Amino acid sequence: MSTSTTTQPAVKMVTLTINDQSVTVPKGTTVLQAALGAGIHIPTFCWHPKLKSVGACRICYVEIEKMPKLQVSCATEATDGMVVKTESDIVKRGRKAVLEFILANHPLDCPTCDKGGECDLQNLTFAHGLDDSRFDFLKRRHIVPGVPSTFDDLRIGPEIMLNRNRCILCYKCVRSNKEAFGEYDIGAFERGNAMEINAAPGEQVANPFSGNLVEICPVGALTNSDWRYKIRVWLTQTTPSIDIFNSSGSNILFYKEDHKNRIFRTISRRNDEIDDGWITDVARYGYQLVHSPDRLQKPLMKKGSKQVPVEWEEAVAFVARRLAEIDDTKGCVCIGGLASPTLDLDSLHSFSKFMRKVIGTNNLDFRIDYRSLPEKPDSAFSTLSSQPFTIAEIDTSDVIFVFGSDLVKEHPNEYLRIRKARNFGRPLVYSVNSFNVKSADVADREFIYAPGTEEVFINGLCLAAIEENPGLSGADGLKRKISPADLNSAAKTCGVSAEDLKALARTLINGKKISFIVGDQVSLSRDREVIAAALCNLNRLVGITSRGQMAALARYADSIGAEKLGLIPNPHPDVKRALTDLWGGFPEMAGYHTEGMFSQMLKGELDAMVILGANPVAMYPDHEAVAETFEKLDFLVVADLFETETTAMADVVLPLASWTEFAGRYVNLEGRIQKAERAIKPLYESKPAYAILADIAAAARKPLFSSAREREEEIEKVLACTTVRPWPGDYLDVRPPAIDKDPAYPIMLIIGDDPHHRCYVTEKAASLVKFCSDAYIELSPELAEKFKVEDGDAVRVESKYGKLMAPVKVSRVLEGDVVFLPRNFSVTRANSLVSRKARIDWVRINKVSG
Amino acid sequence: MTFYSPVITNAAEVAGSDKLHLFRYVEDANQTKIETYESHGGYGTWRKVLTTKKPDDVIAEVKASGLRGRGGAGFPTGMKWGFIPKDSPKPRYLVCNADESEPGTCKDRVIMERDPHAMIEGMAIAAYAIGCHLMFVYIRGEFGHCIETVDKALQEAYAKGHLGKNVYGSGYDLDMIVHSGGGAYICGEETALLNSLEGEKGMSRIRPPFPAIEGLYACPTIVNNVETLTTVRHIMERGAQWYRTMGTEKSPGSKIFSVSGHVKRPGNYEVELGFSLKKLIYDPQYGNGILGDKKLKGVIPGGASTPFLTPDQINVGLDFESMTSVGSMLGSGAVIVFHEDTCIVWAILKLIHFFRHESCGKCTPCREGTGWLEQIIRRIEHGGGKPGDIEKIEDICGNILGRTICPLGDAAVMPIQSAVKHWRDEWQYHIDHGKCLVPTRFEFV
Repeated sequence: MSTSTTTQPAVKMVTLTINDQSVTVPKGTTVLQAALGAGIHIPTFCWHPKLKSVGACRICYVEIEKMPKLQVSCATEATDGMVVKTESDIVKRGRKAVLEFILANHPLDCPTCDKGGECDLQNLTFAHGLDDSRFDFLKRRHIVPGVPSTFDDLRIGPEIMLNRNRCILCYKCVRSNKEAFGEYDIGAFERGNAMEINAAPGEQVANPFSGNLVEICPVGALTNSDWRYKIRVWLTQTTPSIDIFNSSGSNILFYKEDHKNRIFRTISRRNDEIDDGWITDVARYGYQLVHSPDRLQKPLMKKGSKQVPVEWEEAVAFVARRLAEIDDTKGCVCIGGLASPTLDLDSLHSFSKFMRKVIGTNNLDFRIDYRSLPEKPDSAFSTLSSQPFTIAEIDTSDVIFVFGSDLVKEHPNEYLRIRKARNFGRPLVYSVNSFNVKSADVADREFIYAPGTEEVFINGLCLAAIEENPGLSGADGLKRKISPADLNSAAKTCGVSAEDLKALARTLINGKKISFIVGDQVSLSRDREVIAAALCNLNRLVGITSRGQMAALARYADSIGAEKLGLIPNPHPDVKRALTDLWGGFPEMAGYHTEGMFSQMLKGELDAMVILGANPVAMYPDHEAVAETFEKLDFLVVADLFETETTAMADVVLPLASWTEFAGRYVNLEGRIQKAERAIKPLYESKPAYAILADIAAAARKPLFSSAREREEEIEKVLACTTVRPWPGDYLDVRPPAIDKDPAYPIMLIIGDDPHHRCYVTEKAASLVKFCSDAYIELSPELAEKFKVEDGDAVRVESKYGKLMAPVKVSRVLEGDVVFLPRNFSVTRANSLVSRKARIDWVRINKVSG
Repeated sequence: MTFYSPVITNAAEVAGSDKLHLFRYVEDANQTKIETYESHGGYGTWRKVLTTKKPDDVIAEVKASGLRGRGGAGFPTGMKWGFIPKDSPKPRYLVCNADESEPGTCKDRVIMERDPHAMIEGMAIAAYAIGCHLMFVYIRGEFGHCIETVDKALQEAYAKGHLGKNVYGSGYDLDMIVHSGGGAYICGEETALLNSLEGEKGMSRIRPPFPAIEGLYACPTIVNNVETLTTVRHIMERGAQWYRTMGTEKSPGSKIFSVSGHVKRPGNYEVELGFSLKKLIYDPQYGNGILGDKKLKGVIPGGASTPFLTPDQINVGLDFESMTSVGSMLGSGAVIVFHEDTCIVWAILKLIHFFRHESCGKCTPCREGTGWLEQIIRRIEHGGGKPGDIEKIEDICGNILGRTICPLGDAAVMPIQSAVKHWRDEWQYHIDHGKCLVPTRFEFV
């Protein structure tokens, strides 16, 4: 009813009169939205543009001709010829009455309330309220037992404080939690005027989107412990920025104290095309790592066996000299570089030019956690990952297919979009994965295929589609190229019944608009080429992209930017041509990608590495092998925000400025270029990566750019090239490789991000650590029962490659022989358990007694 | 074992009448047994309807009968059924509202306790009329014995093949679920009832969409009162023409009135609509006059949420139109009688306490307003009233009336408004003197 999205293709328009102004809106629009769209202000408390209207607070009364009573505009549909008054005497009286009711029991503790200055209740009372209260009784007070405070504050989550006295019961927190996030950890209890908001019994409000509840609270009932009692909002300045922990690039706003170089909080900056105004807790509290006391303050240089602080000049000169020496003695083929795909466009392009033009090597990459990288530039996976994808298109899709993705952890924004599509439309949603995921709660059905049978499942889907519709073109050609080539054996291998495969194939054939999302189970798989080939075949067979979109979604804030700027040894031919034109040349050598560079290092054929903002020793699969590889290097220079396992092995460590400390541009997974403005000056002596590279190049007397303008123009030209790779012209061979399984290691291990962390940096953000401070083994209730473990018990996890200990967390989602381990914590290095050579990470676990 | 509450009814009169029907067998202790019910022709109507009539014929017949909802609002039942979208692919649901919790009302309880099969049969006919294959009865949580009785009757009906798959070989499937409420007055309001039935907190939903379009699980749903659905069975048995021989032109038929308060013979009485309120209170067959032969002070004619009538207003017919014409409402038919020794402030305090306690808390005016009103009225009752309190009460009532999502807000303030209007001097005396104007206060036992 009250959706703000335009879901119908051809919408009927209606014209109504609001305050003598004629307004034309699509049918289905509420009177409130019609008024707001026409610039007419109507006060609201409980209304939220992205939630269904409930009409609870009653402040949005309007007078409508021919209706005897005042109507709540948020829940009244605009109709043709309707005559609405928003400022008549009766409306004003109605509003005053509501404000009087709300204020009757509101403590009016504005001087000590953190919401003061940005409080809806304050503002609306100022604009519309009475100047005195007729309520002459003691105000209702929700006392917190055992807390000798007059503030009655109650902690309901790691970051959320609740003051029920201030609450005006608009239920926006409960509603958004349930509707928009699918979480049930906050609720309304009791009834009538004893009603109160509180955490669900025995729970903490700690879901990955919990910060939004604070943000949409119209009063100071919910506050972040992050921001409380630190600063008044009118003493802050805001800076628009981007969430760089997420490939969608949610829009955010930083609050910084006037005249001080410190960020105080993050709130959302609603962009309906990307985030709908919801941001993850990682986006909200991630800024805190910028102010972590662990930040690198000065350049470090290894002198003897110790790294000691030095001045920038010394460090830069040393790096330039050592790189030149290695270039002279062994050649530029012996130098390689890795840059994080969370860096801005300027830094990434500077890195590309530094490696290719200044050093002259083509050994560079931005893919820092992939197991296997394509040998050929026109690989099936490159095609799949380069496909265009538009987040807002999810809203209007009628079939949404999520394949191999734990959406809440990988793409939280898209998860919320699918939820919204479900709330306001009727799409068919399918979640398909090798293990149970939280995001399947938005799915009509969840399908679990056997570990390591992604391509068999997709083959099965193709075969089912052929059975459903034998007229599909090239069916015979496809059958010759895939194995198994009959539906029943495919169904048997992947563990999804032939009937289910047929039902899925039917929806894919009949869907009018499909959004097909491919996630990490494909992108990070050893055999992702095979899986991608199967997906290409599926698209060729049923024509998904002709009726929608299908892509392996980018995982980092600037992955697409790095791809577009050609930060791989063998970029798209158009990009290569553009770079050659710009620089008057391009390294002749083929170059090695991440995996290739590591094997060259191990062979002793690559001697120096330049690493920007990446921590491969801790993040790349097979911890010991990577560490051993790095020990073989002659020279390692790493720029990062913090000391990491990788910087510990470096000859020179350079302090990197964070994304808040300079203006940078990032390309989100849709290919949308967005800017993060500079919120604060660089802390300590840190510098942006592009400045560091420019300094080194200058020290080597090979200046990178004559000016910032030149750098920007080069970036413009390179970005103008398309990097979308065409779908293959024929069906591809899909022969599933054998899955090695040792009965001694019966449990599948999934490694990924904790919902409150990203990569290796967020453990420096104090608030995020409150949600999750150390690694855990999340296991299914069945396994917990089998091993007789409960939450908090220690277990030992062992694979063929390593072992570690971690406390248990019994999952509410996982089922069967699956465990999840977050990769975000330096104390427990998840990558020590896994190997690049394995398709599935098999482990065994035992309870640690005592 | 059947729990049998000792409520007085006029079953004997009904049995002797050729028109009144709802209470015909309620004094028969075996009526809850299906054999007895069937021997009185029970389920014959359902069989006849299912095997010989089309759903539209049933709707037409009920429309023709002029039956109006017995839950309180009096909306024409047949018209309500007609709102079900004809082309919706979604399942349709019928929900019988047995959350009878309006203070003073205890009519549905008698039907469920003593003639549950009549309700089930009426529900089955209504379900067939709207094309529903799964119907629910939402019974007030406090009515534990009713839930048992209805549940037992349901099992019997299934066992005899009146419900279930392929009923009477017609190919029509019909199932029924008995659901127990959790003890909230608001769940008698149909959208809150649906929320509660879905497992949500019992809070009313904003309309539109109306339940007939998007009700239970967002599917077309009809919510009818127990008495309404039971009446449907009788209409389909004897025809709309017969039904129209009772009552008035716009309020045809008969209705059960629950007479309580200061009368000598409180009980449930089935009478034709348009029956005299005065007769209902004073006739020995019914209320038999005021307790202690005192003078009448006022009457709440339709359950606690309807405005008071004064003694000079009770010479009025008990039908929807007549009650509106004297400024009150027929409501659920709960006639609460107050005699002269009732302190009106005290009586209103009891009422507002109830409504404050039962307000669901969703929308602001009702949640905050009922609490505020209770506090003011309590202080008046306890001798702490302040000058201006009456005006404040009137103003707060005005700010609640017509401003809430569901009718609970209106229900809470309408008796207060009428009590202040009719007995303003008594309120004023209470504020000025800190005590009741009435000399001896009589309290309900």
